[in-house]
This record gives sequence, C-alpha cells and structure tokens, in this order.
Amino acid sequence: MKILRTAILCLAALLVVSAANAQNDWIRTGTGLGQEKVRLAVADFKSSGADPRTNPLIKTFNDTLWNDLDNAGIFDMASKSFYPLQQPSTPGEVKLDAWGNPPASAAMLAFGNLGVVGPDVLVSGWLDDVKNTQSPIVLGKQYKEEATEPNARLIAHKFANEIIFRLGGGVNGITESKIYYISKRSGHKEVWAMDYDGADQHQITHLGALASLSPRISPDGSRIAFSSYPKGAGLEIMMYSNELGRMVTFPRFGGTNATPAWSPDGTKIAFASSMHGSMEIYVADASGTAPRRLTTARGPDVAPVWNPKTGAQIAFVSGRSGLPQIYTMDADGSNVQRMTDQGYAVSPSWSPNGQFLAFAWRRNYGPGAPGGWDIYVMDIASKQFIQLTHDAGNNDFPTWSPDGRHITFQRGGNGREEIWTMLADGSKAHALTNTGGNSQPSWGTK
Amino acid sequence: MRARADIYSEQDSWKRPLIWSAGLHGILVASVFIYAAVMGGVHGEDWGGSSSGGGAMSATLVSKSAIPLPRKEVQTENVLANESEGLTQSQPKQVEQPPPEAIPIPEKTVKPTKPKPSIDKSKITPPPSNVVPYGESGPVNAPTTMVNLSGSPGGLSFGSGDFGARYAWYVDAVRRKVSENWHKYEIDPNISNARRVYITFDILRNGDATNIEVEQSSGVPSLDMSATRALQRIDTFGPLPPGYNANKVSVEFWFDYKK
Repeated sequence: MKILRTAILCLAALLVVSAANAQNDWIRTGTGLGQEKVRLAVADFKSSGADPRTNPLIKTFNDTLWNDLDNAGIFDMASKSFYPLQQPSTPGEVKLDAWGNPPASAAMLAFGNLGVVGPDVLVSGWLDDVKNTQSPIVLGKQYKEEATEPNARLIAHKFANEIIFRLGGGVNGITESKIYYISKRSGHKEVWAMDYDGADQHQITHLGALASLSPRISPDGSRIAFSSYPKGAGLEIMMYSNELGRMVTFPRFGGTNATPAWSPDGTKIAFASSMHGSMEIYVADASGTAPRRLTTARGPDVAPVWNPKTGAQIAFVSGRSGLPQIYTMDADGSNVQRMTDQGYAVSPSWSPNGQFLAFAWRRNYGPGAPGGWDIYVMDIASKQFIQLTHDAGNNDFPTWSPDGRHITFQRGGNGREEIWTMLADGSKAHALTNTGGNSQPSWGTK
Repeated sequence: MRARADIYSEQDSWKRPLIWSAGLHGILVASVFIYAAVMGGVHGEDWGGSSSGGGAMSATLVSKSAIPLPRKEVQTENVLANESEGLTQSQPKQVEQPPPEAIPIPEKTVKPTKPKPSIDKSKITPPPSNVVPYGESGPVNAPTTMVNLSGSPGGLSFGSGDFGARYAWYVDAVRRKVSENWHKYEIDPNISNARRVYITFDILRNGDATNIEVEQSSGVPSLDMSATRALQRIDTFGPLPPGYNANKVSVEFWFDYKK
C-alpha cells in the first residue's frame, strides 16, 4: 500500500507541474510578454568627440540603455562577449553579416554615438534590422540635451522607449515612468517617487504626520491622492499637486477614509470610508464633492480599484464572508462577484488591458498554515490564477506597470519592507530600493 | 469427523495475494498516467526550453536561430521524373551475350518513313538562363511570412508590393502580436484538426486594425471566432513604418489549427 501511495503522490506532483506550465503560457500571452523574444544586440555607443566630459556620460548612457532593454521583457539580449570586435558608431560602419551570424546571431542591432559639443550632449542612435540587407535601418534618432548625468540617463530612456515601441507592437515602454511609494527614511512615512528602475529616489510630501498611506497617482500624472492623519482628525484622503508642488485641499469626511483610487479618465475617485458607520466603498468627483456609497453589504469593504480599460467595473476587498476576499462589481455597485474562494486576499490591482487582477493572497490562512503572503494574478474571465512569488517572505501591494508587462510590489515585513519589481509572469524579480523601509508602490501611468 | 477438506474455511490465505494484486494493478495504472503526464509535459519545449521561465537547465549558449540549419526540403508536385543528372555515376550495364545456340528471330520489314522537314534552329529563341522547369521550383516567393502560433503553422501576407521585404521588422511585430493575443483555450477542445482559416484586415497609419473579416472559414465556428477575437483584442500594432507612404496596408493572415 505504501508503494501505491507513493505512486499516487508522484502522479499528483506531475499533474501540478504540467498545470503550472500551461498557466505560464496564458499569463505570457495575456501580458504581451510573448512566447518568443526578439534577439537584440546593443553595441556600446562610441564617443564622437574628444571632450573629457564624454566618458562618464557614455558609461551612464550605455548602462541605462542596456538595463532598459534588458528589463523590457520582450528582448532576448545577445551577450556582449559575442559581439564582433569592430563595433559601429554610424550606419555606414555596420557589417550586418558579422552581427547576424553566430555567435551574436542578432535579429536587431542598436548602435550609435555620443559626444559633448559645447554645453550640450549630442546622441545619435540607430536600430538596424540585421536580416534585411536592402534597407536595414528601422529607426534613426538624434537627441540634444544639456550635458549632465541625469540627461544622459533620460536620453537612454527615450531611445530605449523608441525601440520598445517599434518592436513591441506599438506599446509604449515604461522607461520614463515613475513609481510612487511610501518611505520612512525621513523618520515619518512620507510619499516618495523614483524612476521605474529605482534611480532618482526623492521625497514628495513633507507633512511630518503620523503616517501617510497608499499613494495613487492620477492618470494624467498631475495629482497624487493618498491617505494620512491631519491634525486633530482620523485617517483622511489627502491630495498633492505635482504641478503646483504642494498640497491642495480635499474635503474631510470624518471617520476613517483610506485607499483612494482614480477612475481611468481621472474624473472620479473611489475610496473606502466609514463616514456613515461601517467601512464601505464610496465614489466622489476628483475634487472630493458628492460622495456616493456603492456597497451596502455587512462587513468592511476597502481597497477599490477601477478597471483601467473600461472604467465600468471596480474590484475591491470585502470581509462580508469572514476573512477578506477579492470581489468585483460594476461601477454603480451592482453585479457583485466574488473572485477568490479561500484564505486571505487583499490589495487588488487591475491590469491595464482589463484582463487580469493581481493581488496578495495567503491561500492557507491560520496559525501554522503552510505558505506565505504571495502575489497572484487571476484571469478575470476564467478565474484561473497563477502564483508569481514563491518562498520569499511577505509580498503585498502589487501594482501593474502601464504597459502591463511588469508588476512592482512590496516584499519583507516588520518595518523592513522594500520595493521590488518583476515581469508579469514572475520572472526577473529584483529589488528597486534597499534601505530605510519602503512600501505600498503605485506605478504612474506616465 | 472431518474427512474432507473445506476450502471455503481457508479464507485468511486470500487476503495477502488480493492486496498485492490490487497494489500492483494500482501501480500499473499510475505508471500509465505518469507516462502520459511525462510525455505530455515533454511536448513543446517546456523544460529547459527558451520559453520556459528560467529552468535550472536552460543553458542556452547558442540560440536556435544560430544553428545554420539547411533550408527545409520542399516537396514538388512534379509527376514526371526529374531528368537532371545525379551526383553519382552508375556503372554501365554489362551487355549480356546471347547463348550461342539461340536462333535469331527474323526482323520485321519496316516501312520507309518520310524524312521530317528540318527546323531552322537559328529562328528558335533560346530559353532564358534563369528559367525554372515546370514543377521543379519551390513555393511561390510571395511576400509571405510563415508564422507558428502555439504549434500551429500559419502565414501573413502584406498586400501587394514589397512591404514584407522592406519592413520585415514590422511584419515580425505583427506576427508576434497576433500570436500573443490568440488564446487557444477559446477553441472547442473537441477539435483536433481543422481546415485552414483565412482572416483579412487592414492596418491603418496609426496602427489600428480595422475591417477584420473571415475570408474563408475553417468550418469550425469556435476557431474562426478565436482568430477574429485575437485581432479584435489588439488595440494597436504600432504606427506603420515612417518610410511607408500609403495610408493603410491590407493583411491576409491564415493558419492551420492542429492540436
């Protein structure tokens, strides 16, 4: 009987493995990560001038360009050790054969030059279709900015974006997008922002308040909604204007108000509030006027997010059936549907194409239960789900990138959270922050 | 008095063999399932392949495209034998000497034939040097890209002219985008084979796909539907290449579904 039991266990394990593979397929097709990737070679940009300021800028530029393209999720990067010795800096110098043949075997080649002329840095970049000998040039771009390190990074981001846009089927890259998050590096929990790759981390708000929570950037990037404790009040929704560089007024409703979320057109805000007793979902205008209650069920309802594709649905977390679970409803509060069926599920984030929900889930909840807090993605139509993080502490607050190919989230616990990012199929996870406790990321759409 | 042996009272001795039998049968059935699961998992390139998300064995020093594989043999539909000379030379057949006692059969008398009028060879134009004998060529070299949609072969052809040749990278991006958005689970799982389905659509200057139509149905509604949905799901293919002058490009897209 023991043999039989072992055999059945083996069988079950195999079935689970093959099911996981099938799941990987649909998540990739749904997120545009694709089954196959473009083989891309990126020759180091060459110096086109003798100015001594050129060298550090070139290094920044080359590193940034490589990282951007490597992180894009749609390229198979040809390793630099396979490149021909003679690296081109202008289209005339390209020997297509040398790049297209093994070992480089590239389908596409990015190259160019960078030089400092007077106060400015001048970058010329090209993208060649290596297999097309007749008209290889796919893209040719020139950039001119003041010769500073941040500008070298900016130009690399812009050029990488062009390549991703062309080869990724018209989906804009995220290299110029920003991530907003909560950091307590200043001693208080304040709203911070950084580039998508973790560079240029800087503080946005200086409230010195008890704590700020759950920042959400508006779709046009002009305002940040978050919740915080103003003097003499409970948790309230606050609004910061990126354009004015200061806080702007937002009505106080009393009770506890948290987890604001922007509608895709930026005209409405959904949030959780206990202004009339229990915690329910409300929708108000972007200025905070005319709040309207959407949920009525017993038990708390929090953390609303809109379907960014249609704006017609809202996903939220509800405790109406005991432990928190993910639900969806139409934007007027009707047609409530339960998405998760067990455990403890929180922090939903709706993918830009409207197809998926990402959320944090502890599937086996309770003292001594196996498994941890992990990020899951669910296909809303079929309710199939896939686990993206495994055996890596507590993971929470997933948020989708605007291109739908990446997810950033918080990992760690007990005040030592840091912000991580990964491709939407769970691969290429790496930390963006590594000091001071950073949490609750929100990916800007611009 | 117990003179005869009562075999029905010896029930205890059956228990062990029965358990063994059940156990071994169970293992047999389980091993069939395991074999099926293992073979099912091996299909495609799941384990260590380029599409698997970084398995422990995916040490890919040389990519698939790097191996200079010979061009696929094309089956020509020539019913006649090909008279081109082979690479090997056959030995001349030994002429068999007739046995000496054989009596030769008298030959028939042959009617004298009229001499054919001779053709003036200078008036015939020689065939061009690049002519390909009928039936010996490969497939028509149209601007068609072969695609592979999750194991099913398919193709894309871009209007007329040289769009496919000039903007191969764009055709490639379209191909990838279509295959990314084609969800196989939408197809009726009972279908294992279907006729070729042809879909036509236009890509506008800004990259939007319009006029999505099933040009020739596969006869399987769910397959036609999944192919149409794949295209409807796509918001944009990205703007047409800047060097391309027309306002839109017409695309024909076909594939053979095979499970």
